[in-house]
Amino acid sequence: MQRRHILLGTAGLLAAPAILRAQGAGTIKVGFPVPLTGAYGAEAQDQVRAAEVAIREFNESGGLGGRMAELLVRDDRLNPGEAATRTLELVESDKVNFVVGGLSAAVQLAINNVTKQRGVIFNSISQSDAINERSDWSRTTFHEALNPHMTAGAVGRYAFSRLGKRVAFLTADYAYGHEMVRGFQRAGRAFGIETVADIRHPIGATDFSAFLPRLQALRPDVLFLCNFGRDLQIAVRQTTDFGLKRNTKLVAPLLLYTSRLAGGSAPFQGVIGGTSYYWKLEDSVPSAKRFNDRFRAQHGGRVPSDYGALGYGGVRTVLEAAKTAGTTETDKVVEAMRALRYDYYKGPQYYRGCDHQSVQSVLVVESKTTARDDVDVFDIVHTENPDEENLRSCSELGHG
Amino acid sequence: MRAVADWFFRHPVLGAGFFILILPFITPYTALAVMILVYGLYALGFNIMYGHVGLLSFGHSALLGGGAYACGIALVHLGLPWGACILAGTLAGTLIAFVMGALAVRTRGIYFAMVTLALSQVAYFGFYQAEPWTGGENGLRGVNLRTLGIPGLSLDFTTPAVRYTVIGLLVWGAVALLARILASPFGAAMLAVRENEARAKACGFDVRLVRLQAMTLSGAFCGLAGALLALHLSIVPIETLHYTTSGVAVMMAILGGSNTFFGPFVGAAVFLFLESVVSTRTEHWPLVVGVVFVLFILLARQGIWGTLVARLR
Repeated sequence: MQRRHILLGTAGLLAAPAILRAQGAGTIKVGFPVPLTGAYGAEAQDQVRAAEVAIREFNESGGLGGRMAELLVRDDRLNPGEAATRTLELVESDKVNFVVGGLSAAVQLAINNVTKQRGVIFNSISQSDAINERSDWSRTTFHEALNPHMTAGAVGRYAFSRLGKRVAFLTADYAYGHEMVRGFQRAGRAFGIETVADIRHPIGATDFSAFLPRLQALRPDVLFLCNFGRDLQIAVRQTTDFGLKRNTKLVAPLLLYTSRLAGGSAPFQGVIGGTSYYWKLEDSVPSAKRFNDRFRAQHGGRVPSDYGALGYGGVRTVLEAAKTAGTTETDKVVEAMRALRYDYYKGPQYYRGCDHQSVQSVLVVESKTTARDDVDVFDIVHTENPDEENLRSCSELGHG
Repeated sequence: MRAVADWFFRHPVLGAGFFILILPFITPYTALAVMILVYGLYALGFNIMYGHVGLLSFGHSALLGGGAYACGIALVHLGLPWGACILAGTLAGTLIAFVMGALAVRTRGIYFAMVTLALSQVAYFGFYQAEPWTGGENGLRGVNLRTLGIPGLSLDFTTPAVRYTVIGLLVWGAVALLARILASPFGAAMLAVRENEARAKACGFDVRLVRLQAMTLSGAFCGLAGALLALHLSIVPIETLHYTTSGVAVMMAILGGSNTFFGPFVGAAVFLFLESVVSTRTEHWPLVVGVVFVLFILLARQGIWGTLVARLR
């Protein structure tokens, strides 16, 4: 039902361009291209929900001197070409003030290329290392999400110090997997880790049984599963069935709330991974409690997911910056965003000067055994505090 | 009405020009209109093989994608002027089509489809692995054409109207050229090969050569479409080379009517329009587009344009 509401809402937004025009230049328009259909539909729909929370909060507080904000959701279908076309529509036809969104590395880079050419602020809310690098980055590019380097670094430092130094990798053979492995290897240097196996599998694999006997014979302390979505679910289930968990701890660099719910309690039991947000943070962080309560009130008592929360953070930062700047003019909002020191939902954050990467905490969570409908699926076992030291240096990224 | 229709069908080039002229006014936004132009040209190029020679290719994504990457690489890595980039894309499409054709024209029917599919997958993984040049998984970014230098004139290519006009003129030129080629003796030779291979052979045509020539020609048009796609989107996604992109061309040609000259272009317009409008209303948009497709296969074999042509003449 929720899902249908969003789609109907999206359709309504599209069907009502006349109303938009009637409201005139006063409305602040935030373009929001996300993959409502496709493999990450569940995450994308949660991002829309969370972004709506940020919009309503902004409007209830009086907007920007009476100017209200509005969310223009577009389905990019997880396809970079479609994302570029939709972003062109948002920028050229709808004349949006800001663009927030993207839910894959390739898609966010496509959106970024379109906005960067046209001098429109884009705040990306999914993981990518490339978007920080000089060749893709621009003054109007912001990255609210974590990147693979930060995530793998935090999870790696936790795993190497507590779980053991003989490690193996099972990696999906594409950019995301490679970036994660690179992050682990970098973090592992300080610990003197020993890599006993580095196995690459094609993306979209359904059968991992060919690799499992070898991994079992090697008996690594930790097995890093550098794959995502369905690949991760299948890999976790098969390694569990194979009995690998007896000697080896399974670690996924990115362990999402949504994939844990989809994958089930038993296979994921004891799996450790990194994430940007988990709703139980509300026990220790007041801003998380505030955000969760607003989200529950607006969306029938459900709790936000990690990627969903990024939708909130991404939209709220641009709107707050516009409020501080007192205008929606790109240059002034960029300056205001660069100056932001904020704590909106997970503790203190700020955008690093050279690449506009949001410096923030990384959570390490462990999946626990739960009943079927229980939404409390993780224990937060470690929090790595925000620190620029954990990012790749500005000069390494090619900035000055 | 009949007179108007007759005029339209007798002057396909002027008809196409008229279509391109009104297109931006009947689509919800300009970026979609440009996509229709580009995919329309791609479907026309594909239909040289399917409609006119009678060979179903499942590898045309390699021609579109090859053209797009060549144009993008020429701009990003070599810094060539825009005209040279478009030429590079067209040539790349031609070359890939020639190689694919040389390996595939000896086969027919399902075998031709399979061989072209396999070869396009080779292209996909080749471009995927060549990350320093193509960006790999992330796609090629930075195909940024800002000012369009034409002698005596400097245009801002990021303006939607300019982008549509420039791409529209190029597509129209290509359509006119294709219409001329199809009306030539070579066009007749292609039809002869399609209709009856043995008789074409008996008449002295080298059937394989005609097919290879047609494939190469098809590559030139698809390569041009790819180059324009790269300049329009300012990126080249790896998905351009995926085999589903080949399937899209088949659907567009059949939906519009593969036995007519302009049908595939109409098919592309209807397909993209439906996809864009329906996908904002329901997540099950492929179901709607699929049902429309099946209905046309069952009830109007000639496709949208083909049925119109048959009704009105």
